[in-house]
Amino acid sequence: MPVQYYLFLSLALFCIGMMGAMMRRNAIIVFMCIELMLNAVNLLMVAFSKMYNDAAAQIFVFFIMVVAAAEVAVGLAIIVMMYRKVHSVDINILNRLKH
Amino acid sequence: MGIYEISFWFLTVMALSCALGVILSRNPVNSVLFLIATFFAISGHYILLNAQFLAIVNIIVYAGAIMVLFLFVIMLMNLNADTEPQKNRLVQIAGAISGGTLLLVILAALRTSTITSLDQTSTDIGLIKNLGKTLFTQFVLPFEISSVLFLSAMIGAVVIGKKEQTV
Amino acid sequence: MKAIIAATVLGVILMFAGLFVKEKKSVASLAVFLLFVLLGVNIWDLVTTAPNETLSFFNNMLRVDRYALWFNTLMTGCTLLYALLVSKEIQRVGSHVAEYFALICFILCGVYMLSTYNNVLILFIGIEILSIPQYILAGSDKRNLKSSEASLKYFLMGAFSTGILLMGITLLYGATGTFNIIQYTFLQSDMLSPMALAGILFLMVAFAFKVSAAPMHMWTPDVYDGAPTPFTAFMATIVKASAFVAFMRLFSVSFGAISSDWMMVLAIITAATLFVGNITAVFQQSVKRMLAYSSIAQAGFMLFAVLAVNATAWQGMMIYAVAYSVATIGMFAVLMKMKDYTYDGFNGLAKKDPMLAAFTTVFLLSLAGIPLTGGFMAKYFVLLAAVEQGKMMWLVIFALFMAAVSAYYYFRVIMAMYFKQGNAELNTEVSATDRFLLAITVLLVIVLGAAPNLILNI
Repeated sequence: MPVQYYLFLSLALFCIGMMGAMMRRNAIIVFMCIELMLNAVNLLMVAFSKMYNDAAAQIFVFFIMVVAAAEVAVGLAIIVMMYRKVHSVDINILNRLKH
Repeated sequence: MGIYEISFWFLTVMALSCALGVILSRNPVNSVLFLIATFFAISGHYILLNAQFLAIVNIIVYAGAIMVLFLFVIMLMNLNADTEPQKNRLVQIAGAISGGTLLLVILAALRTSTITSLDQTSTDIGLIKNLGKTLFTQFVLPFEISSVLFLSAMIGAVVIGKKEQTV
Repeated sequence: MKAIIAATVLGVILMFAGLFVKEKKSVASLAVFLLFVLLGVNIWDLVTTAPNETLSFFNNMLRVDRYALWFNTLMTGCTLLYALLVSKEIQRVGSHVAEYFALICFILCGVYMLSTYNNVLILFIGIEILSIPQYILAGSDKRNLKSSEASLKYFLMGAFSTGILLMGITLLYGATGTFNIIQYTFLQSDMLSPMALAGILFLMVAFAFKVSAAPMHMWTPDVYDGAPTPFTAFMATIVKASAFVAFMRLFSVSFGAISSDWMMVLAIITAATLFVGNITAVFQQSVKRMLAYSSIAQAGFMLFAVLAVNATAWQGMMIYAVAYSVATIGMFAVLMKMKDYTYDGFNGLAKKDPMLAAFTTVFLLSLAGIPLTGGFMAKYFVLLAAVEQGKMMWLVIFALFMAAVSAYYYFRVIMAMYFKQGNAELNTEVSATDRFLLAITVLLVIVLGAAPNLILNI
């Protein structure tokens, strides 16, 4: 299987995640789309790891997962805090800041 | 087509369609479930790529822990399809077009890049023994330092989650 | 290396202090003392390293040179100054004072990583250690809805740009097979591989997000405006300067040899940043928001140092980071004393408190880049670097023009203080200690302008 297939698959997943992050209004869904982008990166990294036969890339993936977990903990706390205040997770209310 | 090709295409189609499901489904709970299915497909790819340890970690950490957290928060907030107002069409179309254009441009640029084919012989770099050795020798500094990251995330969750006493 | 460990340990000590010391004031004093210790550790690191010596740690994960150590020392010094000036305001933000200071220590740990990294994995983790505490600090004022919104917006933008950064790193890995920034080799035959180029572009966009360069600057005004003012002062100065040093390290050490391939894109980003930052700042009514746009405009000048890829650029980045940080911290410290953050709030300050008005004037002159202040020397060095490099003359002229525009909105505050009638109300009494600290800050600004060699000859 040429590594290009993995490249295309991963870029497609990345762009789907990116589109979702731009299209959706629900902060949680936007955040999930960002997780999808990170997973696309992970997949590509593993494919390259196989290509170079290098364990370092797999360790990198491991660290991406570590960081994503930390980010989720903080991110969901922020979203819940926001929800407690305005009873909504709609990111359009963020535009209220502009005045 | 051998079993390898069949599973590759099956997992690819599954990953892409579930990813589309994440961004297109109205109900946030469905989105989470689609995302979990995507993660399983990606884990399948990891196994095809001889990254057995990562495949398991991906399922345990992502599908098991992170997505459950998401699901929990969504249930807590009692979100469903009706609560999310739609962005106006123009923004949606603009988002779709810009994402799609980015994809096309990158694919066109990378189409010509000469890349070696992956051999299907199994290697053992993805096994715990090898990864552990690499992690604790070459990558010991990032390993130790990510504890700072966790510490600050922990403080963050507490500081943000705690109710403010009236000062 | 010692500094990274020290910053972490001091952060943990502060967390425990929050458990045992109930008095907010004692926690803040302890934090200031610990920052003194951290500065001491940095100086220790600096003096034990010979000039021109480059040390590698942990299989080339970190590459420590004199420049990086000096940068760390100066940034720790700025943080100390910041902590001294605003510790009272930090105590007013919320009830978790110890945690706020602990997070600042962790951010400093990230700063040290970003100035010494030699592996993109450290870069990635460093950026995350820098960002995650900031999301929390932005949302720390929980009585204020704007603070929570700033936090959420910052978080979503930060996570998004992290995804882009990682894609860039992965594509570069695919093209070169390494994570070590000095081992990146690009030139296959005579053409750069498309994958490497795409990786560099992704990295550039991600860094543009982090340093708030246009067109990826949209989050900056809202976040800086919404976050509690003491933490805005920190985000806009030390954190931004460190992100710039990381940006510069990657783009001159690894991609310097192929600078002709990415220079044009970065030049356009620079021009857009200068234009958007300066022009939008003119139309602001709130001084805090004006300072947010001004930080975008200043980022435009700092981008020159990244663009130029030569020895002067490194010097320019150092002096810009310090001069900009000191003047901005001083300006924010004054702003926090004011009751009303709009321009009108400054009306007649010169009559009410001539000393404070004079200090403010020096800070604003430095930000505008008037000679004899640190800001002038900073702008001079980064533009000199671009002139020496010689490919971007049109951009230098454009930058000079934009610097003239920036004088308008800085002078508007000075005009309000000296020539307008009004009764500028202060939020709190300015104590003798505050005056003394502000005087030191002013002195630093002037010393930087008169003798920039003090920090350039290390």
